[in-house]
Amino acid sequence: MTTPEISWIAILPELFLALGAAAVLLVEVQWKPAIRVLGALAAAALALASTSSVVQWAQASDAFGGGSAGDLISFSGLVVMDGFAVFGRFALLAVTGFGLLAGWRYIESLGRRGAEAIALVLLASAGFSIMVAANNLVMMFLGLEVGSIALYVLAGMSRERARSDEAAIKYFLLGSFASAIFVYGVALIYAGTGQFEILGIRAFMSGFVVLSPAVILIGLGLVIVGLGFKVSAAPFHSWAPDVYQGAPAGLVGYMAAMAKVAGFVAISRILLTGLDSLDSNWLPVVAAISALSMLVGSILALVQGDVRRMLAYSGVAHAGFILTGLVGGTTGGVLFYLAVYALQLVGAFAVVAAVSGPDNSESALDSYRGLIRRSPLLAWSFTILLLGMAGLPLTSGFIAKFGVFAQAWSSGFEWLVVVAVLASVIAFAFYLRIIVMMYMDESDDPEIEVPGTVRWVLAAAVGTTILWGILPGSLLRLAADALPL
Amino acid sequence: MLTWLILLPVVGAIAVGVIPRARKELHLPLGITLSVLPLGLAMYLFYVFEPVPGYQFTELHSWYEPWGIAWSLGVDGISMPMVVLTTLLVPIALGASASITDRAKEFVVYTLLLEAGMIGVFLSLDLFLFFVFFEVILIPMYFIIGIWGSERRVYAAMKFFIYTAFGSALMLAGIIALAVTHGQQFGTVSFALADLMNVELGGGSERWLFAAFALAFAIKVPLFPLHTWLPDAHTEAPTAGSVLLAGVLLKLGTYGLMRFNLSLFPEASVDAVWIMGILAVIGIVYGAAVAIVQPDLKKLVAYSSVSHLGFIVLGTFALTSGGLQGAVIQNVNHGITTGALFLLVGMIYERRHTKKIADFGGLQKVMPVYAGFFLFMIFASIGLPGLNGFVGEFLVLIGSYTTLPALAIIAAAGVILAAIYLLWAYERVFTGVPDREENEVLSDLSVRELSLLAPLAALVLVLGLYPGILLDKIVPSTEAVLDHIEATTDYQVPTPGRLGDVFVAEGD
Repeated sequence: MTTPEISWIAILPELFLALGAAAVLLVEVQWKPAIRVLGALAAAALALASTSSVVQWAQASDAFGGGSAGDLISFSGLVVMDGFAVFGRFALLAVTGFGLLAGWRYIESLGRRGAEAIALVLLASAGFSIMVAANNLVMMFLGLEVGSIALYVLAGMSRERARSDEAAIKYFLLGSFASAIFVYGVALIYAGTGQFEILGIRAFMSGFVVLSPAVILIGLGLVIVGLGFKVSAAPFHSWAPDVYQGAPAGLVGYMAAMAKVAGFVAISRILLTGLDSLDSNWLPVVAAISALSMLVGSILALVQGDVRRMLAYSGVAHAGFILTGLVGGTTGGVLFYLAVYALQLVGAFAVVAAVSGPDNSESALDSYRGLIRRSPLLAWSFTILLLGMAGLPLTSGFIAKFGVFAQAWSSGFEWLVVVAVLASVIAFAFYLRIIVMMYMDESDDPEIEVPGTVRWVLAAAVGTTILWGILPGSLLRLAADALPL
Repeated sequence: MLTWLILLPVVGAIAVGVIPRARKELHLPLGITLSVLPLGLAMYLFYVFEPVPGYQFTELHSWYEPWGIAWSLGVDGISMPMVVLTTLLVPIALGASASITDRAKEFVVYTLLLEAGMIGVFLSLDLFLFFVFFEVILIPMYFIIGIWGSERRVYAAMKFFIYTAFGSALMLAGIIALAVTHGQQFGTVSFALADLMNVELGGGSERWLFAAFALAFAIKVPLFPLHTWLPDAHTEAPTAGSVLLAGVLLKLGTYGLMRFNLSLFPEASVDAVWIMGILAVIGIVYGAAVAIVQPDLKKLVAYSSVSHLGFIVLGTFALTSGGLQGAVIQNVNHGITTGALFLLVGMIYERRHTKKIADFGGLQKVMPVYAGFFLFMIFASIGLPGLNGFVGEFLVLIGSYTTLPALAIIAAAGVILAAIYLLWAYERVFTGVPDREENEVLSDLSVRELSLLAPLAALVLVLGLYPGILLDKIVPSTEAVLDHIEATTDYQVPTPGRLGDVFVAEGD
């Protein structure tokens, strides 16, 4: 047995995140410093992880520009640092940073338990980060579990609230089932191909004629179900509204965005890289899930009386939209969509958290009446973010939708695009409903004071929504260059 | 130059936006002043616009090359008059909004952003860019109706938004389909109108695409039976909203039919002549018939729009020189006269807080100047010879008689119906003796109101007596549309439908 070659750079970002989490906990135990110090530690870990990702990106670009692609695979094929992984990780790191800022007031309100929350956030990020870089299905599962379990705990952080407990239990039970289904799928794929490695599976599929791929197909189906749950695609979405509603508002945006980004990167990698030769089998299934998600999400969002539940269903619809890109076979389109949607989601939940107030109470639609009078900043930001999610032109959401729709159309899924544009119109209705309440109704409630950390998040989310809506070229190019191996 | 035409209102909106809320008195005057700048620029461009076919003052900057989208602007004889009309109506609409005191700043900002969007729609030569503007204008209009409208404003605003968004969503699919087909045939994806005109579409897909575009524009026009959002939107909108809605937003539909449907899908357009013509004529008669029985003055004007817009669609799909010229001319005329009528209704509403016809009577005696303007605009709207409406309706009827004689005859009946509902409304509101106390004390038009109406009245006269200043610049472009259709299909305009066949106004 040979010692596997170790290329530390490949896992440096995850190392920094995990060490950051450990450092936060140890410093807390030893010195019990002000929560700001722990925040600074987390920021340092994120900064180091981002820097090492930049180095990875440079290496990935070199490899595609004439170098050897094999250099990007390390740890005996467990992890890769192709552009796809690095782009996905940048999205994850951005979400982590802004998620911590958005939830900072909540973390502060936890008192000494705030350290746990910070550590869990960093740990979840480390897990999802390794998941997007995994070239091995078992590795992918490990990342998924590290990330998911941290999220289960985060969902239940507000133990004193019954809804938070409910959210955590629900998320944990259903999430574990989904993980189990995913693992079973991985096992069946291994049984069919003899491979855990995604690149190995591709080599196997192109090297052999698989006469009856039934086992592989069942395995693939289970993998799709498992990951479909994580990204809350219909019909595996039923947990999302309850969890979004129950989990701490400041952290929901982070939780939702992380699961979406990591889940979709993993699905794309398995489907487009590993088993692209079976696309005639999985395309119809994914297209059906996509159409169902768009319709179910948009229609059910119409009747929600709670903004968090509405955003959860809108997330289901967005999962459908992103899947149209997957059906079209565009990794660039999927990545661009993920990046802009993740930031909008974090921004939107930052608004929700600010409106809900420090006691993290309910976020009924009614509490948004006349928001423009209570806080113009929140109302304006929320408007732009909602319009961005709705995909109105001049927002990044439109560019993202346009990219995936155009790709799906040119791949021959015209019907899916028609469903998608119709679902977009339905979606307009519920986004506008909130906007109506914010501007067109009156309110006597007191003004809302927006914490400085939330202002930063809103500036970034709103700024990128407009910037990438008008000048999307730079990010679109990066996303298009970020190819999987 | 054209970029500035779009940017000036945006700059204006930002300038108004940075003025603090406390300086309330500054927002509206500054907005009006700044909105005169684009008007000046548009008038200058109209003046130097050469009466030749093709686009002028074109600009082209790539937006994102791999997708083939571009910031591509230009005007021709079909869009030039619309740009001038838009820039003219915005200062007037703002001037009519002195009664808006609640959140006046936002109102001015939204109106100026709306202006930028509307101008952008008329200037875009790239379908992606066109769609961006077409969709973006929904938001400011949605707010204008929804925040400053009357009682059922939220319902009306939502209805307006969802109807139009539904239409444009399918058009988006159509635009994607066209661009993708271009990519398959020419190797590069492109959204440029000029490129997409070369795409070879099969008969079936051409019809589908025609339908997708036509649906979006028909909702906007609105064409029967898709018109139900319009009366609600108009009744609930504030005066400025109604003026811009009738004056410009509806024209986006008729403009789109002419610019995109006729040019991109000539074969399907020729096939659809009867369907579109029949829907147009139903709209003419139905709109007029419903207008007759309206108890609400504003709703009456709104339904008259449905009727008048029918003429424009009929003229467009007559596919003759006269029809197309009439359609473009009517685009402008309807904007002026209906815009003025909405202004007038708004002025009386500000005084009496009612729009019910039954609440008035004998106003002629109390407000003679107001009554005079009202009658003048009614005559223009009916199409009295010597006023602008006559030129357009006459051209449309002549043009459509060549190809769709039966429809032209029914449409002519619409002219008579218009006379009935408008004059009858005038009779009930203005003639007789004022029998209510409230009506006896009404003040006549103020200088501010006069200054809003005077330019529109002057235009009614000028365009009625000397339509050549407009037609000269329109004709080369409408002829180019017909040339394109004749060159790409078997359709030949029957004699005497083309310019030069017999008397069809040549514009001088």
